[in-house]
Amino acid sequence: MASYRVFCRNMKTSDVLSYIVKQNLRRCRRFSSHTDERQNYDLVVIGGGSGGLACAKEAASLAKRVAVVDFVEPSPRGTTWGLGGTCVNVGCIPKKLMHQASLLGEAIKDSRHYGWQVPDEVNHSWQTLVQSVQNHVRSLNWGHRVQLNEKKVTYYNGWGKFLDEHRIKTTLKNGDEKIIHAANVVLATGMRPKYPQEVPGALEYGISSDDIFSLQKPPGKTLVIGGSYVALETAGFLQGLGFPTTVMVRSICLRGFDQQMSQLVTDHMSNNAGVKFQWKTTPVSVEKTKNGSFSVRWRDEEGKEDVDHYDTVLFAVGRIPQTSNLGLENTSVKLKSDGKILQSQHEQSSVPHIYAIGDILDGGIELTPVAIKAGKLLAHRLFGNSNKVLDYSKVPTTVFTPLEFSSVGFSEEDAIERHGEENIEVYHAFYKPLEFTVAERPSDQCYIKAVCERTGSQKILGLHITGPNAGEIMQGFAVAVGFGISYEELSASLGIHPTSAEEVVKLHITKRSGEDPTVTGC
Amino acid sequence: MLVEVAEGIEKFLETVEKHSGKRIFALFCGGVSPATGESWCPDCVKAEPVIETGVAKAPEDAVFIKCSVGDRATWKDPNCEFRKHLQLKLVGVPTLLEWNTPKRLVEEECSKQDLVDMFFEED
Repeated sequence: MASYRVFCRNMKTSDVLSYIVKQNLRRCRRFSSHTDERQNYDLVVIGGGSGGLACAKEAASLAKRVAVVDFVEPSPRGTTWGLGGTCVNVGCIPKKLMHQASLLGEAIKDSRHYGWQVPDEVNHSWQTLVQSVQNHVRSLNWGHRVQLNEKKVTYYNGWGKFLDEHRIKTTLKNGDEKIIHAANVVLATGMRPKYPQEVPGALEYGISSDDIFSLQKPPGKTLVIGGSYVALETAGFLQGLGFPTTVMVRSICLRGFDQQMSQLVTDHMSNNAGVKFQWKTTPVSVEKTKNGSFSVRWRDEEGKEDVDHYDTVLFAVGRIPQTSNLGLENTSVKLKSDGKILQSQHEQSSVPHIYAIGDILDGGIELTPVAIKAGKLLAHRLFGNSNKVLDYSKVPTTVFTPLEFSSVGFSEEDAIERHGEENIEVYHAFYKPLEFTVAERPSDQCYIKAVCERTGSQKILGLHITGPNAGEIMQGFAVAVGFGISYEELSASLGIHPTSAEEVVKLHITKRSGEDPTVTGC
Repeated sequence: MLVEVAEGIEKFLETVEKHSGKRIFALFCGGVSPATGESWCPDCVKAEPVIETGVAKAPEDAVFIKCSVGDRATWKDPNCEFRKHLQLKLVGVPTLLEWNTPKRLVEEECSKQDLVDMFFEED
């Protein structure tokens, strides 16, 4: 007590009171944890991916009691991973590293033109790549664990299931069950790859993006089924690493993206990168052969069937929201028919204290930065006296195919649909990256277009680029487009010479004019 | 859990070799100064009792190697072997790491009990 008095001597009465209250609270909390197994949280986040972790950490930094419940269900091939979700483990991060590995192979070829005396035969080790990629992924897993710990977020490595709208049962790895109580819940469970049910052998023998980045043996001759960006990126880096790769596409590639750009991406893949495309075909069956390879039978649009053999068959035909085994039937949370969570408004589900962010949110966008931003803003709305909401329009993204494709805003099709063709002006250019010239690389698919309003200062509605480092180029322009830059302002800007990015500010040929959009000279 | 003590990088690598196949935890600290009887590195001194508590939570069949990086001058040399070794690449002492994994706690992180507990408890 003596020390207590000394401690209090220099404090104001109100401070002393608040100190006493805090001490008592602490005592109560300590006491309650002994008598009551139930754990109370201001926020429980289910799903430890980009969005969930960002939301949890932000809420914790606002001095709230926060828990993250995360569990990775092994893929049908048995692949599993650590904390961090799709992006870190089986998405953005490993795919960008493998894309880079593939680009380096290109660079080795180019380098001969620049004087490097590279031996004719340069080999690639798949094992080394997988090891390096997995080492990095594991260091990120550990980093996430350390960050949660430092922010005092409780981590349950277990499967979370609603018992009712506030109680969540978490089944831990070792089978132990814990019931936690949540004042607010954020669902951020993401999506997992889909296998076509109607194709016998698909689930049994096929792999997915969940498995490719940790595949122990080189994939060899590979069939990638699907036209999604996951399919194209995977096919791109596999071919680049020297594995003969075929993409089997039912209808179109990169649905939702500008289709002229999509065409350029697939043209580059087939004409320059050596990827084979099998258009308008669907798989019929996958069988294992005696030598361990897989025999895939497929059907074209006329019903004609054919068959070929592959060492690896990878399905990239879409992803399923992970909402079916969360005990949502014990809540009034409403799902859309595709399994995504319906929002009343601003990431709020049909139950006011239950929210959804990231890939599982109906009307959301399946991108890491979107999930992160949504999660952070939500934490501030819940606990930080903020009313800021995420603007889901003009979200930039990049497809990391051998020739990268980056875009922000409306595709030409969408702009025409919304504004009418007569109200749209499209400025475009085919350009040649300087580094391609010496290396004698064809640049037929390096293209930029700005979809603009036709009148006034011509606000930019969408910007699209194919070319090397398209993602790096787009980031800065996306800021400008996000803030409503016009064509007039864009073309009043100065370029940086010599870069590919300067071609964006130099755009001057309209599609309507019919003039040749090929950039010549400086 | 088996505790080993190593002085210098060669001894450390030898000890790792001896226990290959097992989970190996390692702690790198500044050497004991003869004048004080304590490590010359204050963060190392501070971390010691925390790590002592945490180690109790490590799996039974694991090995814990305590390794000294030498006196202050040896450690501060940019060419110090502990800094240069490709698998170690130490940037600070104390460093707590699990061999062949990216798990690492550096400097003041080693004095945080919950981080240290987590380090020893989880795969």
